[in-house]
Amino acid sequence: MVNSSNSSFLYSIKIVGELFGDFLYFPLWWYSRGFVNHVKTCINFLNNRNRSLSYFVWIKNIFTPMYGQTDFWGRIISFFVRIIVVFFESILMFFWLLVILFIILLWLVAPIYVIYQIIFQLNIIN
Amino acid sequence: MSNKDLKNKTIICSVCSGSGLNKRGFACKNCLGLGVCITKYNRFFSWNLKLSKSIIELNHVRIKIYQITKFLSYIIGCCGFIFLALWLFQNYSTNILIEDFYFWNERESFLLIFWLSIIIDMFLIYQISRENKQKRKINFINYKEKFSNIMSPNNWGELKKFNCNFKIDVVSGFEKKTFKAVEEAYMLAYKLGNNKVEPLHLFFVCLQEKEVAAIFSRLNVNAHSLISMIKKQLTKLGQGNDKLILSNEIKETLISSYIEAFDMGQRQVTIKNLLTSSVQNSKVLNEIIYDLDVTVDKIFNVVSWFVANEETIKKYKEYRNIARFKPSSNMDRAYTSVATKVLKNFAYDLTLAARSGKLEFCINREEEITSIFQSIESGYGGIILVGQPGAGKKSIIHGIAQLMVKEDAPSVLQDKRLMEVDLARLIGGTTPEQAETRMLEIIHEVARAGNIILYFKGIDKIVGITSGAEGSLDLASILASAIEKKSIYCFASVSTKSYLDYIEESSLGLVMQKINVREPEGNQLIQIIESKVSYFEAKYKVYFSYSSLEQCIKFSKKYIYDKFFPKKAIDILEMVAVKTSKTKGEQSLVTKKDIASVISNITGIPLTQVTDSESQNLLNLEKKIHNRMIGQEEAVKMISASLRRARTQLREGNRPIANFLFLGPTGVGKTELARTVSEVYFGKEDYMIRIDMSEYQHPDSVKKMIGDVHGTRGYLTEKVKKSPFSLILLDEIEKAHPDILNLFLQVMDDGRLTDGGGRTIDFSSSIIVATSNAGAIYIQEEVKKNTSIEQIKDGLINEHLNKVMRPEFINRFDGVIVFKPLTISNVIEIARLMLGKLEKLLDLKGIKMKISEEGLKKIAQEGFDPKFGARPLRRAIQDLIENKIANKILIGELNRRDTISIDDKMEIQIEKGKEL
Repeated sequence: MVNSSNSSFLYSIKIVGELFGDFLYFPLWWYSRGFVNHVKTCINFLNNRNRSLSYFVWIKNIFTPMYGQTDFWGRIISFFVRIIVVFFESILMFFWLLVILFIILLWLVAPIYVIYQIIFQLNIIN
Repeated sequence: MSNKDLKNKTIICSVCSGSGLNKRGFACKNCLGLGVCITKYNRFFSWNLKLSKSIIELNHVRIKIYQITKFLSYIIGCCGFIFLALWLFQNYSTNILIEDFYFWNERESFLLIFWLSIIIDMFLIYQISRENKQKRKINFINYKEKFSNIMSPNNWGELKKFNCNFKIDVVSGFEKKTFKAVEEAYMLAYKLGNNKVEPLHLFFVCLQEKEVAAIFSRLNVNAHSLISMIKKQLTKLGQGNDKLILSNEIKETLISSYIEAFDMGQRQVTIKNLLTSSVQNSKVLNEIIYDLDVTVDKIFNVVSWFVANEETIKKYKEYRNIARFKPSSNMDRAYTSVATKVLKNFAYDLTLAARSGKLEFCINREEEITSIFQSIESGYGGIILVGQPGAGKKSIIHGIAQLMVKEDAPSVLQDKRLMEVDLARLIGGTTPEQAETRMLEIIHEVARAGNIILYFKGIDKIVGITSGAEGSLDLASILASAIEKKSIYCFASVSTKSYLDYIEESSLGLVMQKINVREPEGNQLIQIIESKVSYFEAKYKVYFSYSSLEQCIKFSKKYIYDKFFPKKAIDILEMVAVKTSKTKGEQSLVTKKDIASVISNITGIPLTQVTDSESQNLLNLEKKIHNRMIGQEEAVKMISASLRRARTQLREGNRPIANFLFLGPTGVGKTELARTVSEVYFGKEDYMIRIDMSEYQHPDSVKKMIGDVHGTRGYLTEKVKKSPFSLILLDEIEKAHPDILNLFLQVMDDGRLTDGGGRTIDFSSSIIVATSNAGAIYIQEEVKKNTSIEQIKDGLINEHLNKVMRPEFINRFDGVIVFKPLTISNVIEIARLMLGKLEKLLDLKGIKMKISEEGLKKIAQEGFDPKFGARPLRRAIQDLIENKIANKILIGELNRRDTISIDDKMEIQIEKGKEL
């Protein structure tokens, strides 16, 4: 019986510890593991954008003629078409990159800004 | 110390006997409170968690608190946005200005709530992320660690010295629901006042779960009777006032379930995994399930089926997720390929079909696909899949198409399209010249495009199509030359026979790498079939029991020869699904019986379980045979006994049902008995394959019997292939050539024979009866001397049979049955039977027949010849009775309603019937 009450006591302490630990660990997690996970998700998203646009495949093949047109004019036309496509895709990729950077930045700034807003709302600062 | 432990090895602490506690109730020092552990894969698995009522209750409180905080976080998070919306609504003016939305510059209580809720939102993200992270998972052990020669601990003393990497607390892999079941089992034992938690408690708790109920419904187990049987046993468990502890058996159960889940490649221990280990560790449970016709193996197989299905669904979802990145046009990603105008008309894009999920998901063909990829990587431009029809060649090609969609293929196949050329369209309705032009154009297009892999199904069709004179290049040679030059990459498939006949020696055979596609067997086969079953279940709204799948494989293997696995089993399952859905209705369970009845319909073999009326028939077999057969009691008894054994499955599986040698003079009923057995056992006299062995006296007769490599079909093998459930009567076996007898040596021993074409024919559903006249005179003489049948048999085997047959051949027979010469009383009875038949024929014409006993005896005496047995009797009846009746009918003396009486002098008297 000694053992049973002992372990129950230890277990209840563990539960209380876990509860408070959660609140204390939360800010630390936000800027460590949470941030890493967030960046990984963003990079994954960007990779998928690249895959669906075949962006790097087009850059790699910039001098390869399209539709098997290996004659001189075929190569010239292909090159310019590829330049145009890569240009538009770059704009799109750049847009996604900005979005991702913004989201990453948001993650970093959010807690500080929210605290600032709360203090501001509480009329502590003007 | 141990190394390379591949079997579960249980170690129980000798100090605390597995309880984990010392006398004072503290943790045992010897085993550190673990009590029981299992060693495997160089690891030390144990259940470390202490359970008690208060701990379980506290844990419930913890879960409740967590759920409440999560719920509140959701509510507060949502409220924040509602307050923001309210603020915006309040500040909304008729002239909408962008400045109105600058809420971050304003001070307002609603906004304060909004900003506070954002903190809660962030906390919610944290909670969800932590929850995923904290999910209990099974530890991964890599191949090297599993099988290396690391000296890992295998006893308590050594364990204490080792670091924690070797110790695995199995609770770390338990899914939430599984852990809850363990807690519930503890609480159940507590409520029942038991002193130990047993696997029985755990099993009972598991039965309340839907997925477990589904497993038992697949096993065709009545859930109510199972639950009531367990309830009964639960009341018999030991009661006590001591503290409730986990029994050693339940600890073993929990640890084994972790190892089972680990072996199946699962990430978590699910509730399903608790079933097999519970039964394995509880004798009572073992008995209970045995009573319900279930075994541990069957449960394990159904659990594996469910786990495999879950894995397939996961893989499929992952595949669908990746498939959307594959280009949906006919171009590669870099747009370097060329449009293929001609090919477009003759080919079907398999990768495109795979991308849009039109191809069936390929299961368990990794071995063949790996060897195909290895061949491509080692420089082969062409791969030819060779296998029996239905063995899964198409499925493998579809699997490759799916891997190409995932881009999980060798670089040669990446960013490529797999196009199946429709050979019927390519060569059908056209001249060889046109076909050749088309083929050349296709090859040219594919070579230019550079992103196409061709697939030819049944490539043997293009061999020999040539526009020039005999011997000039055919379509196959044109293709072979393109493959050789590496202008194109190409897959092809062909049946084994066509490969041997057309491809092996041709130019294609030389340039293409042959990959054998074997019929899947064992677990591979059952998993392929299980994956198809889910499709039929969804389509026809029926459910298959596990035993029905096993039965389907078993029966189709044994009774269907002209088709191959897995297709033959899949076809049967679909037929059964359709039939069950129509006859039993939707949502019904397909059982072993349903499978047996469909296969019975196809093959004509009675495979269903012995019914009551049939068992009566079997018990009265002697009587039934004697209705047709007079005398020969010993022979009839022996035959009946072996048939009963066969029908109740009490015989060796692979041998024929029975092999008999009937010995005796002519006309004593040897053939008649064989015919009777065929009618009584197989239902019809037609189920008898009669072979007159005097036609097989030449050594060349073997070809006639089993066929040859040039395609000639053998008489015996073809007959048995078509109707395996037959009686094979080998008449006058002593006259056959010894080579023929050698063939039967194997048939009688193994129950199979390979025909000239290489197909194995199964004889295990046949009865083989050989008859012989050898020693007929000896039998007659010995019978006259009143020698016993046993002595006659010995004399026959030792002095007469050994001159015509080898002793090992005689030994193969289950029974050598000596037919005694017929006595006059036997012949009288036979005459009565024969005249009975005549009576029936006359009855059809409305004429009655009576016969006096004296007349019958005289007819029998007329037809009796000790040398020829009952054979002259037929002639006697014809001459003395049938001819006279026929004449009387013709001259109009005998009409309907008349009665014939045969008097004591065998004369025919007519009693005129009443006029109408």
